[in-house]
Amino acid sequence: MSSVSFRKLEKSYGSLRIVKGIDLEIADREFVVLVGPSGCGKSTTLRMLAGLESISDGEIRIGERVVNKLPPRERDIAMVFQDYALYPHKTVYENMAFSLKVRGISSAEIKPRIAQAAEMLGITPLLDRKPSQLSGGQRQRVAMGRAIVRRPQVFLFDEPLSNLDAKLRGQVRTEIKRLHQAIGTTIIYVTHDQVEAMTLADRIVILKGGEIEQVGTPDEVYNSPASVFVGGFIGSPAMNFAKGTIRGGQVTFDGGAGIPLHDHSAGKVGGLEGRDVVVGIRPEHFVPAGEGHALSGQVQVVEPLGSDTLIHFALGQSTLTARVAPEMRPSPGEALSIGVDPSRVHLFDAATERAIAR
Amino acid sequence: MATASETTLVTTRNESGTKWWTRFLDPSEGTLAALLLLPTALLLTLIIVYPVCRLIWTSFQNLSLTSGLPASFAGLENYSLMLDDPVFWETTWNTVLITLITVPGALLVGLALALMANLPFNVKWPVRLSLLIPWALPLSFAGLIFAWFFHSEYGVVNDVLRRIGFEGVIWFNSANWAFAAICLTIIWKTSSFMALIILAGLQTIPRSLYEAADVDGAGRLRQFFEITLPLLKPAIVVALIFRTITALQTFDIPFTMTRGGPGTSTATLAMYIHQNTVDFLDLGYGSALAVVMFVLSMGVTAVYLRMIRARG
Repeated sequence: MSSVSFRKLEKSYGSLRIVKGIDLEIADREFVVLVGPSGCGKSTTLRMLAGLESISDGEIRIGERVVNKLPPRERDIAMVFQDYALYPHKTVYENMAFSLKVRGISSAEIKPRIAQAAEMLGITPLLDRKPSQLSGGQRQRVAMGRAIVRRPQVFLFDEPLSNLDAKLRGQVRTEIKRLHQAIGTTIIYVTHDQVEAMTLADRIVILKGGEIEQVGTPDEVYNSPASVFVGGFIGSPAMNFAKGTIRGGQVTFDGGAGIPLHDHSAGKVGGLEGRDVVVGIRPEHFVPAGEGHALSGQVQVVEPLGSDTLIHFALGQSTLTARVAPEMRPSPGEALSIGVDPSRVHLFDAATERAIAR
Repeated sequence: MATASETTLVTTRNESGTKWWTRFLDPSEGTLAALLLLPTALLLTLIIVYPVCRLIWTSFQNLSLTSGLPASFAGLENYSLMLDDPVFWETTWNTVLITLITVPGALLVGLALALMANLPFNVKWPVRLSLLIPWALPLSFAGLIFAWFFHSEYGVVNDVLRRIGFEGVIWFNSANWAFAAICLTIIWKTSSFMALIILAGLQTIPRSLYEAADVDGAGRLRQFFEITLPLLKPAIVVALIFRTITALQTFDIPFTMTRGGPGTSTATLAMYIHQNTVDFLDLGYGSALAVVMFVLSMGVTAVYLRMIRARG
């Protein structure tokens, strides 16, 4: 087990910069998720750490060792690939034993290691099967088993759940979390799915355009997004955004409605009278009218989800979404009065899109 | 579930379906399958089954166009003649030897070429084109070119040998050297075909397997033997089937390079069949020889197919 650090990590293909100077310290035994949309550089960063991509500039350390020039086999890492990359002509046992054999470990030692890993993952009955005889979920577990038997310093997961259906994804996600709790090895996990990031990570690293947008615990990135991008990326349904202006201790929307600034926010934006802002409100932070500050809008679409109801409504020029109690079922076209807690309202600078206050 | 009116309709159709033309318009699944297969079956009968049957029938006949006699049934006479014919045994042995040397030779060279062509070149087309050219050349053309390459006085091979301090070889005066020259030419000509099939196989191996092996700690050589080679087996078996069958039918290259000489030392079974049927017009004996070659080819194919089936 080991820490990992990236210092001013760069990756370019010709004049195209994919990763732009990433600085990140990952502690020993930490579960860090790199998350972001396609093309943000998260997989490239992981592959540079694995040694599968060269580094254009900067430094990667695993523990105290700089590994920039080391081939993958000398980095003491194990990786679970998006397509699992199981050797199709080898049995599950042979797949799991391969890396150990290559490292000259005796059969007497390999057998108990594989038995232990297979037991942990519930794949003991599958050891004699070929990958083509396994389901998607079983393949995924075998890929994890192949990584576990290595007992590496760092586990790398490259979008390991993206080939599974939604139900199986949830199950395997729980297994990965349980696995981390059991073995405690440092895990770096890449995904584009914010739910995976929120549920698995000790810390989330949100990447955009090859740069780190925010690093924080799931609570921090959810409750205090550093930018419009983070606010919109983390949380489902996505955070609502509306343009507004700060005037006289409140933020006024384009349509004329306003929300008084929370005491804490008011302190931060005191010198910004007249500034244009982007207001961010999470759908789940709307409350029934009468609780919090009331806003009036017009209902456009209602989506009953069983556990709760999503109401899409117009507020001035903007369309917002509110997640409310399941029994609240207004009709489209109806006037809507809904409350919002000023303390849960996020303010972002309209020009830089960086957070001002919450 | 069918309604009453639907049931009535079906019954009515079945009753009126006794006429032949309604059965043709609304055939059963079996009849439809037979009708759809009929054109292909007829074509195959015409171009494969009939010629093969005719060949086998002719091999049991005395049919020499030079004798002036009508064809007569000879039973197994042509086959028993073959057993006492030293040229048959020599040409058969030459054919088997060419197959045993050139098929593995072309496989090894083809594998090496395919591995090279699969390297991440920035511009791929010159590599692919250089693989295609030997394959696209007519066999007799390759034979003529290489006959010049191996020419004792003007050939490039002897020129190179002399430049590096060896004596030139009179290639086509010695049975062994002539045989070697023919085998080298066949390997050059056919390895590009092997390379193309193996290259197609190589490109189906996902890159992530090599990345996983990198992370697992396997070096390049181990990756080749543990990943590349096992996953190439299906492509290699297909290439071997095609190449072995065509090797057993070797004709053009030895015909254009040596005409089977010196003596009959480089003549193949196909050349001997050609000599008997075209030069001597002995269609009965020539057909018997062709049947032997047909059986040899079918035997090899059966062995390979059994290998594929055994591997699952």
